[in-house]
Amino acid sequence: MHSILAVFRRELALYFRSPVAYAIAFALLLFLGVLFNGFIAQANAALSFGSGIPADAGFAPNLLTFLMFLIAPLLTMRLLAEESREGTLEVLMTLPMHESSFIIGKFLAAWAYYSVLLLLSLVFYALQSFIGVPDAGVALGAYGGAWLYGGAVLAITLIWSAVTEDQIVAAFLGSATILVLYLAEIAAIWIAGQGSSSLLADFVRELGLQAHFSVTLAQGIVRAEDVVYFICVIIGALFITTRLVETRRWRA
Amino acid sequence: MIEVENLSKRYGEVSAIRDVSFQARPGQVTGFLGPNGAGKTTTMRILTGFMPPSSGRAIVAGHDVFTDSMEVRRRVGYLPENVPLYRDMTALGYLKFIADIRGLRDGRRRAREVLERVDLVHRADSRIRTLSKGMRQRVGVAQALIHDPEVLILDEPTIGLDPFQVLELRDLVRVLGRDHTVLFSTHILSEAEQICDQVVIIDRGEIMAQGSPQALRSELESGRPVVLRVDAPLDEAQALVNALPEVERAEISADGITATPADPELDPRPAIARAVLERGWALNELRSVAVTLEDIFLEVAGSHAPPEEPPGDAEAPAETPEEDEVSHA
Repeated sequence: MHSILAVFRRELALYFRSPVAYAIAFALLLFLGVLFNGFIAQANAALSFGSGIPADAGFAPNLLTFLMFLIAPLLTMRLLAEESREGTLEVLMTLPMHESSFIIGKFLAAWAYYSVLLLLSLVFYALQSFIGVPDAGVALGAYGGAWLYGGAVLAITLIWSAVTEDQIVAAFLGSATILVLYLAEIAAIWIAGQGSSSLLADFVRELGLQAHFSVTLAQGIVRAEDVVYFICVIIGALFITTRLVETRRWRA
Repeated sequence: MIEVENLSKRYGEVSAIRDVSFQARPGQVTGFLGPNGAGKTTTMRILTGFMPPSSGRAIVAGHDVFTDSMEVRRRVGYLPENVPLYRDMTALGYLKFIADIRGLRDGRRRAREVLERVDLVHRADSRIRTLSKGMRQRVGVAQALIHDPEVLILDEPTIGLDPFQVLELRDLVRVLGRDHTVLFSTHILSEAEQICDQVVIIDRGEIMAQGSPQALRSELESGRPVVLRVDAPLDEAQALVNALPEVERAEISADGITATPADPELDPRPAIARAVLERGWALNELRSVAVTLEDIFLEVAGSHAPPEEPPGDAEAPAETPEEDEVSHA
């Protein structure tokens, strides 16, 4: 436990010292801000025609989950790849600490930083509250869902950081994996359209990330299976990562 | 205490070490000596629990490295080759981090103590990337010392240091050897000779010799030629020495007269001295040809070399740290 905490503290401090992390936060808020501006303008225009559009309380979390295929790899690519390239893994793996503590500490730091990003995006919900009445239930579901979603995505991209010593390769593969999982729903629709068994289509759809977020949590519908899905992805990915670090060491 | 029994490690087809057995005792500095690529790092990585052996057994501080890895890690301090550190942390911050992972109470105080021990308190708050190579090496040693381990394993700690830093580090290792079990690898023979109580020579993954530097030397000194310088015509002296039963052959060499003993177990020097003095000559010098660890090393490594390679090939171990820097770059 103390080793998880030590690793977590070091990595989190590093995020807050790293220019990349600030660049991500800046770019994210800028991007969301621009889109939010367009969203408000649109609502305004609709209003002048006498028809209002409902404020989407899940505006920021929805976009954030979409952008995770870019953000998550940038946050996790360094975590393990750098340790093995610099050789610092050798010191850590000869300390009385289990690999899993090390991986969990790293993951929790990335997740914590992501949580900060998510909290920053609450500013858009606050703005919506000023000008309208966003659905608090939807917001709770969407923000909570996006938090779990982010954890799952970060855990998956962390796997690639354990696979390769090259941060760029890790980021690229992580990005590709997340994009595929994001688009699984579209693949499922295509499979269903081919007329083959709907079982396969369902399987692919359920495997994907969006099926457990966009139509449920993001709408304020909390289903146990979605929460379980994200938690299972996190645990499974961390398990794989731990095993990869173990084998990397055994082969070293 | 380190006890290694028949340790082997294979990477696929390649054998990194074969049947390595040796012991390192508490209160001693054990030198692990061999050229680059001899298997020193592999052995040390196994002993520290970084990787498992393919076969064999190693007991470190009373625990098996394979079955009881965590207990071993608690009792071992390890400085890997090239001293990997987090460059973005301060020296103190890094040591505090290691102390926290180790679960030491009062990590900050321990970190300060070891920084004092390696004489680096004045740079405690400098980022590691701004420290010189020698200072980083000392941070690495401090890291290995932070939990006051029974066993210290240092992989080539003097590589890349300037001569002054090398001396400092050797002193530190010697002092640490008094109350720890220290295993210290190097390819610099004179270094092993200076600071080690015991030397284990490894080459191509196999242990070639072990013992105290003195014991290894006297073992090899037996049967060694002796050199004689007397105040007399060379040919007369040669004839005199040649006539002695203890001497197999005497030749005139650049140093004077070189005599090969007839019986390797029997030192011919007393007989030679007596004969020379009986003739009333002045005996200027009579010595066994000096044996250094380097000779021992060349001998064991040379006898081991495949026939197509001349024994001189074993000069592979670079004598100067500077040369090594290049090969590590």
